[in-house]
Amino acid sequence: MDQTLIRDLVSADEEYLRDESKKVGYAETISFPETHEQVAQIMTELYKTATPVTVQGSRTGLASAAVPFGGHILNMSRMDKVLGMRVEDDKFFVSVQPGVILQKLNKAIAARSFDTSAWTLEAKEVFAAFGKAPVQMFTPDPTESTAAIGGMVACNASGARSYHYGATREHIGAIKAVLADGQTISIRRGEIFAKGLQLTIPTEEGNIVNVNLPTYKMPNCKNASGYYCCPDMDALDLIIGSDGTLAVLTEIELALLPVSALSWGVTAFFPNESAAAAYTKLARQIEKGIVAIEYFDACALDILRKQKAESTAFAGLPFLPEAYGCAVYTELHCDSEEEAYELLEALSDYCLKAGGNPESTWVATSDSDRDMLHFFRHAVPESVNMQVERTKRTYPEVTKVGGDLAVPDEYFEELLGLYDATLKEESLLHAAWGHIGDNHIHVNILPRDMDEYSRGKALLAKWAGEVSRMGGAVSAEHGVGKLKAPFLEVMYGKEHINEMANVKAAFDPKWMLGRGNLFVPQGEVK
Amino acid sequence: MKIIVCMKQVPAAATASIDPLTKTIVRTGRNAVTNPFDLYALQTAIDIRNGVGGSLTAITMGIPAAQKVLRDAISRGADGGAILSDRVFAGADTLATSYALSLGIEKLGGADLIVCGKMAVDGDTAQIGPELAQHLGIPHVSDVCEILEMAEDHLVVRRVWDDVEQELFLPLPALITVAKGQDLPQLPTIPGMIKGRDAEIPTFTAEDLQADIARCGLKGSPTQVVRTFTPPVRGEAQEITGNEAEQSEQLVQIFREVLHGAD
Repeated sequence: MDQTLIRDLVSADEEYLRDESKKVGYAETISFPETHEQVAQIMTELYKTATPVTVQGSRTGLASAAVPFGGHILNMSRMDKVLGMRVEDDKFFVSVQPGVILQKLNKAIAARSFDTSAWTLEAKEVFAAFGKAPVQMFTPDPTESTAAIGGMVACNASGARSYHYGATREHIGAIKAVLADGQTISIRRGEIFAKGLQLTIPTEEGNIVNVNLPTYKMPNCKNASGYYCCPDMDALDLIIGSDGTLAVLTEIELALLPVSALSWGVTAFFPNESAAAAYTKLARQIEKGIVAIEYFDACALDILRKQKAESTAFAGLPFLPEAYGCAVYTELHCDSEEEAYELLEALSDYCLKAGGNPESTWVATSDSDRDMLHFFRHAVPESVNMQVERTKRTYPEVTKVGGDLAVPDEYFEELLGLYDATLKEESLLHAAWGHIGDNHIHVNILPRDMDEYSRGKALLAKWAGEVSRMGGAVSAEHGVGKLKAPFLEVMYGKEHINEMANVKAAFDPKWMLGRGNLFVPQGEVK
Repeated sequence: MKIIVCMKQVPAAATASIDPLTKTIVRTGRNAVTNPFDLYALQTAIDIRNGVGGSLTAITMGIPAAQKVLRDAISRGADGGAILSDRVFAGADTLATSYALSLGIEKLGGADLIVCGKMAVDGDTAQIGPELAQHLGIPHVSDVCEILEMAEDHLVVRRVWDDVEQELFLPLPALITVAKGQDLPQLPTIPGMIKGRDAEIPTFTAEDLQADIARCGLKGSPTQVVRTFTPPVRGEAQEITGNEAEQSEQLVQIFREVLHGAD
């Protein structure tokens, strides 16, 4: 193999030891492959010495999945090419390398502008048709728009619009990946299915991977916790969301959808959380046109008021009257203005029924107003990150303490009650926001010292236990990574974790890939 | 107090195209938005109306589709709107536009206060407000960034220019043009949106206004547009890649080149 592909880690590579979770790891070597073949060469070489390998995208993850725990860092940021395009039944698919950044991809799709110089003739023909077709979009919209597509597939990322369009999983048509021993697998949706819980995946080298799928039943809610599995499942779904523990993705085919004619945003303010929850329940009854339902609690709004008053960077935030207790944002995608106005009227009615006031709403229909609401929504996590960074200066061990828990519909009010009671009991500074439409709110604790940090982490563990009891997911969209591995055991129990370990061993017998992800470290020692 | 706010529909950024013959902007109504400065004017007018009491009407001149900006203004708090629309008005420069607007305002029974945005982002002339005041024979203050005092018969306003800041007493009736100030435009509410959709918006033609045709549209426009063009891109964007250390090194190199010229 090309000996320059793998090199020692030097001090200038320090940034590759951490990700957005703020956790710091360690590693000995690093590589920046540019092609599938280079990834295969690197893995073949590392397999000889059973070197642990941590795959990285753009390190925007919040669960430390890209933070290395020794061995080699396989950084995919230079695999950032769009490889081609395909059309099937008027549906467009675009093939990308895993290092492509979501934001750049979205821009290219919207502008219908790709570097097609290395594409096949067939793909170029599809591109010509794409140029004349209605404007398309890739719907998954995680808050961090600089996420790499490979990372999004690895943790089955979702975002606000996943309420309607679904998580990343539902928009993946095919993948190509390299196994720990350097072999290649290619899986196209609808081609390889399990027989019951027995799954056989052929490698391009003529071997097979035989998998006994776990017997657990996945939670009936948004979920990114552990391996996806159910009887007769599509093999593609096992690789999606496997947190970098089964194979290294080298090509991903993404399904696109036509953009709807209108996109409107409606933020409704409520005096308290129970009114917001009641409004959400009503809004969920609308069958067509609502693509996102997002929540901001009183603490999140207070943080924004403070930021607007104190920081010029946030001065452009809209004025928030004190009477606005908490907020629910809905996004409408409609084919006509008539349809959009019908939804507005329904939301107005629900607002009144839930104890709100339709006059306390913001409607964004133009780009500049939508940008304003976008700024408003993203300023919350941004401000929380700034707060964590400030604490980190005095207490470097502090990381983000944020929940990513979701529960089935019938438990949502119980979950809100649990958050409220326990946070009051511990009197910890916090802010909550997120995907209330999917019963999935990110409660973030803002520790000011190590004591609050430990108490915050303990509270998170307690919630994980309670959410598991409710049949929920300990990670709904961030993935389990390293930070939430202990919670996965709480959610599924030892026996099912062992079943998952057997799945991993079938793909990666030497336990090289994603060490520390999904499984707590002692479980890896075989 | 009777307040009229002038609004303009402009092409959304990056979607404007130029008519090769008349060298003027092609206005189809598609991808069109309210001129951003007019939203500040509208918010200022709403604040004054709310403070002093009275009525607020939005007025625009344009193709029928331009009434969208009036519905937008009503959704944000204006009480009503009126559009001046006629082929005779097409191709107007600022002189012909301000003439037509002055007739429209007279048709609405005049106003105690007229509020305009500082300028439109498509033409960038900032002439409409002052010209309109001249047509109506009332005083005006341009580039107002704050209303310090408001009453039925006067305003005290603050305006800031590059090297001067003024506080001015302005007896009404008068006209002000508003720069981006402290009052961010508020977003519409749901009831506001429905009010905007349902509003009856009268259309006034040149005949309705008994306008002198020779002073309207292209005919009444002494401005000769010689050429309108998209400014050429000055230099290329440079993407800085690599790890943090490599990126910092490249940045330092760029700073060095800017400060001392290339090594």
